[in-house]
Amino acid sequence: MQLTVNGKPESIESKDSLNITALLEELKVKDALYVTVELNGEILERENFDNTTVKNGDSLEFLYFMGGGR
Amino acid sequence: MDAQSSFHFETLLIHGGLEPGPAGATTVPIVQSSSFAHATAEDLEDIFRGRKAGQIYTRLNNPTTDSLEKRLALLEGGVAAVATASGMAAISTAVLTILRSGDEILSSSSLFGGTYSLFHDTLANYGILSRFVDPTDLAAFRAAVSPATRLIFVETIGNPKMDVPDIAALAAIAREGGIPLMLDATVSTPYLARGRDLGADLVIHSTSKYINGTGSTIGGAIIDNGTFDWKSPLYPHFELYAKKYRQFAFTARLRKLMHKDLGACPAPMNSFLLTEGIETLALRMDRHCTNALALARFLQTHPKVAWVNYPGLEDSSFHDVATRQFGNRYGGLLTFGLYSQVEAFRLINALKLARNLANIGDAKTLVIHPASTICVDYPLEQRLLLGVSDELVRVSVGLEHEKDIIGDFSQALEAL
Ligand SMILES: Cc1ncc(COP(=O)(O)O)c(C=O)c1O
Repeated sequence: MQLTVNGKPESIESKDSLNITALLEELKVKDALYVTVELNGEILERENFDNTTVKNGDSLEFLYFMGGGR
Repeated sequence: MDAQSSFHFETLLIHGGLEPGPAGATTVPIVQSSSFAHATAEDLEDIFRGRKAGQIYTRLNNPTTDSLEKRLALLEGGVAAVATASGMAAISTAVLTILRSGDEILSSSSLFGGTYSLFHDTLANYGILSRFVDPTDLAAFRAAVSPATRLIFVETIGNPKMDVPDIAALAAIAREGGIPLMLDATVSTPYLARGRDLGADLVIHSTSKYINGTGSTIGGAIIDNGTFDWKSPLYPHFELYAKKYRQFAFTARLRKLMHKDLGACPAPMNSFLLTEGIETLALRMDRHCTNALALARFLQTHPKVAWVNYPGLEDSSFHDVATRQFGNRYGGLLTFGLYSQVEAFRLINALKLARNLANIGDAKTLVIHPASTICVDYPLEQRLLLGVSDELVRVSVGLEHEKDIIGDFSQALEAL
């Protein structure tokens, strides 16, 4: 499946769909505990990481709160 | 970073947030640069969008200041910290991050004069009103929570009233009302108690005082404990921040709006001086505490002294709560009364070691007559609310030999 991650194309060969928790693992996203995830422009609640799946063509942003103690 | 959170307080004072410097330097490098260049337009976009970490501009962040902020967050057990140009900058920025016109602060009536001026005069001009209530009268404090209250603000030890409120009890009142508790812990420092352990959501320090410790540097800090639920309908302006940044909602809003907009950032040099000063905080506070207790005991028995206010004295009405809250340590600040303002002035003029100036937390012993200085603009009624009577002298007890400090006050009292 083809995704856009932080504005850049990203292809995940092995899977056709993945939930957010698995995707964070698959992409080895840094500090996954603190990351904010936007899926197609919408902020995802952390509670919904397990039951939200991404599919071919989706666009994701992994955002961090910066600075001061982290 | 997180591996450090298992270190003890004294170790974090020295190593918290400290990374190996260039050429093996062991101090925090002073990065005296206004702005920070990045290789590509894409890189800078990613930093601005929050896709990756990076420095932008010293008003927003700076590597030297970042190091200080990390250390303060670790020491307080908070999720984030923001260093500011002064303690007043910290209070102004933090308070304005939360409040909008029409909101109210429920504040301790026992406040540092500058904070009182900010709340009573400056913020009132922008439609933010404050109710000032005795923080040691819990029933009155609870009764003063109104439908417009959006912040509870208290000092751990009132400067200069020297009262010690039961912070955990005030935190319970804040929780009941679904309102954050902001604690000015300047006088107690994180060494006597961590605001988080007492139930505070946000902690303020004027780092100009004990954290610097040498009277060389003005600074402030805001520590976010990440404990308040900003999703509350009382704070609709936090909704997006709470959703996006969860436990970082407060600091994210502060950094993205007020801190950026007010621009009260510290100079990198000052952040460096504060990272140096803070290393010895624990050692210094122990000495401040023992010297202050010794001076308080001396003054208490002196016939020319009317009264002494120091929570370390067994007959202080704040002794029990202070003992519980601060683990048998009572800080370096005390006040005492003579029998008139004339006597207070004579005493100050006769002191040889103690410096007559407006500051606390220096290695040097400092005195001031607050009624004629810090509170000179306020009428008697307001001064008394702040605990500042005409015969009161405030002492910030320094690190000199206890016998020299007592000797100085002894000779000055004899000369009265
Ligand atoms: C308790 C307290 N809070 C805040 C401040 C303000 O800090 P600054 O002088 O760094 O602006 C001070 C001292 O001035 C203080 O004693």
